[in-house]
Amino acid sequence: MNSIQEYLTQSHDKCDELFAMTEERASTSLQSAKEVCAEFIAETERHFQMEERVMFVAFENKTGMTQGPTAMMRHEHTQMRTLMQQMQEALAAENKDKFFGFSETLMMLIQQHNMKEEQMLYPMAQQHLSEDSQKIVEMMHSMISQ
Amino acid sequence: MEFTGLSTDQAPPISAPFRFFLTAPLFGVLAGVFVLLSDSTILMSRYSIDSIVVTHAMTIGFLAFMMLGSITQMLPVLAGAKIPKVHFVATTSHALLTVGTLFMLIGLVRGNYFLEYVAFFCLGIGFMIILTALVIALKGVVNYTPTVRGIATSVFFAFFIVFMGLYLLLSHMIKDISIAHTIVANVHSVWAIFGFVGTLIIGVSFQVLPMFYVAPKFKSFCKQKVIWLISAGLLLWLFLSFFYEEYSIVAKIWIAIFFLAFATAVWLKLNRRRRPVSDVTVWYWRSASLFLILGTFLWIFDEYFKHEYIVMVAILIGGFILSIMIGMVYKIVPFLVWFHLNASGYMNIPNINEMINKNLARTQFLFFIAALIGFVFAFYMPAVLNYSAVSFIISMALLEYNIVSPVLIYRRVKKTKPDFDMSSLKQ
Repeated sequence: MNSIQEYLTQSHDKCDELFAMTEERASTSLQSAKEVCAEFIAETERHFQMEERVMFVAFENKTGMTQGPTAMMRHEHTQMRTLMQQMQEALAAENKDKFFGFSETLMMLIQQHNMKEEQMLYPMAQQHLSEDSQKIVEMMHSMISQ
Repeated sequence: MEFTGLSTDQAPPISAPFRFFLTAPLFGVLAGVFVLLSDSTILMSRYSIDSIVVTHAMTIGFLAFMMLGSITQMLPVLAGAKIPKVHFVATTSHALLTVGTLFMLIGLVRGNYFLEYVAFFCLGIGFMIILTALVIALKGVVNYTPTVRGIATSVFFAFFIVFMGLYLLLSHMIKDISIAHTIVANVHSVWAIFGFVGTLIIGVSFQVLPMFYVAPKFKSFCKQKVIWLISAGLLLWLFLSFFYEEYSIVAKIWIAIFFLAFATAVWLKLNRRRRPVSDVTVWYWRSASLFLILGTFLWIFDEYFKHEYIVMVAILIGGFILSIMIGMVYKIVPFLVWFHLNASGYMNIPNINEMINKNLARTQFLFFIAALIGFVFAFYMPAVLNYSAVSFIISMALLEYNIVSPVLIYRRVKKTKPDFDMSSLKQ
């Protein structure tokens, strides 16, 4: 089994892949992008929940930091959720300019967010939670997105 | 362990990078005006006062400002590093560097000792404040990724080139031009281009290019070794230039190989990117790659022609660096405006594609490329020089406009408060 860091980084890559596919399809026709866009949003939501319901909680319990980095990451998740919703609305309205405007904004937000997580938060989490690492990964893996 | 970069309170205020971004294109305009006022035969000599003035309007005024602005912004995100007293550091160093650069340029043109003297201190202190702050920030970094190593290497070279620059300015002021002057000038320029700017660009590209375009990642060897190999090449080149000048070509080829490889990698990775978008930032990555390939080839070639083409090398490599910087600014500026507004709770704001007029960005790109091609051709056709300078001035003025537009959106939203402002809760 992977470490927390590897597992969540791979999850980022999977979301990036789906995001790229969504944009690829949308550049031909917005209609054809709907399905993969929904898949991307579901996968990203699942990633958020793996963090918010499992890893962040474990991290906060272990370090006692509830207003630190995890609060910041949760805040950025909210920003991304709004953008994903706006992307879907633009898809429904068949507004290509709006769609790519939101997707570009989301892309930038996601990438700077991922950088912070992959380079700072995950290594720290792995270090603080090394003993429970396997268990946490398993819990995230088996989690059912709500 | 700290999580300094992950807190909004410790992220730099938007004014820190923006004051640098907003000033840089104005120096670009000034550089264009200096070219207009000069003469092609004088500009052909790299050591003429006119060439030095134009070069430094661009290198300090434009490039250093852009780089310092972006490092201030990127360090917390890329490295979790906290720049101490970031507001003070940004405002003071920005003011000192602006005055220092202006005074140096005017002082050199007019041969005014007083202006040069003030410039010497302003530039020295301005650079020391910001570079020291960056070193302190870098010392606190826990996870030294290849990108952070690139930034750290860049800052390392920055100290040397600033000291060399100050030495050159001082020896010019006191009219003590020794043989060492030319050698130091040469090291100063090569280390500035490949050491200070080159390593930063490569280091940041490792991270940014695959991420923003969903392009293939750089190979682990590149990420782990290339910055060291380039640094070793630059040190070797320094040693050879001082003691075995006839062999310095070996180090030059060494350095050039890595930059050529980088340029090729950028081109190929863009071809294989997953994102279909082809905005002006992609065009700039492309032009950067082409300018770098041509520039490094010519740099080696020039060795066999007694440095006859060194000005053309500078134009081409300048084209590479400028392309990267402008492309980056087009990505970063609208995002920062959006991010800071959104983080304050404003939801009804333009998305990042709506902040800069796409057609104006494309027009800016075309004027820029036309200017650069014109400058290269002016080498053979002096009549082209003035047209190119005008094209360059227009491109820089448009760039300024394109950076000001998102800033105006930011100010308007902050002023009119279209929806609930969460920032008021923090007070």
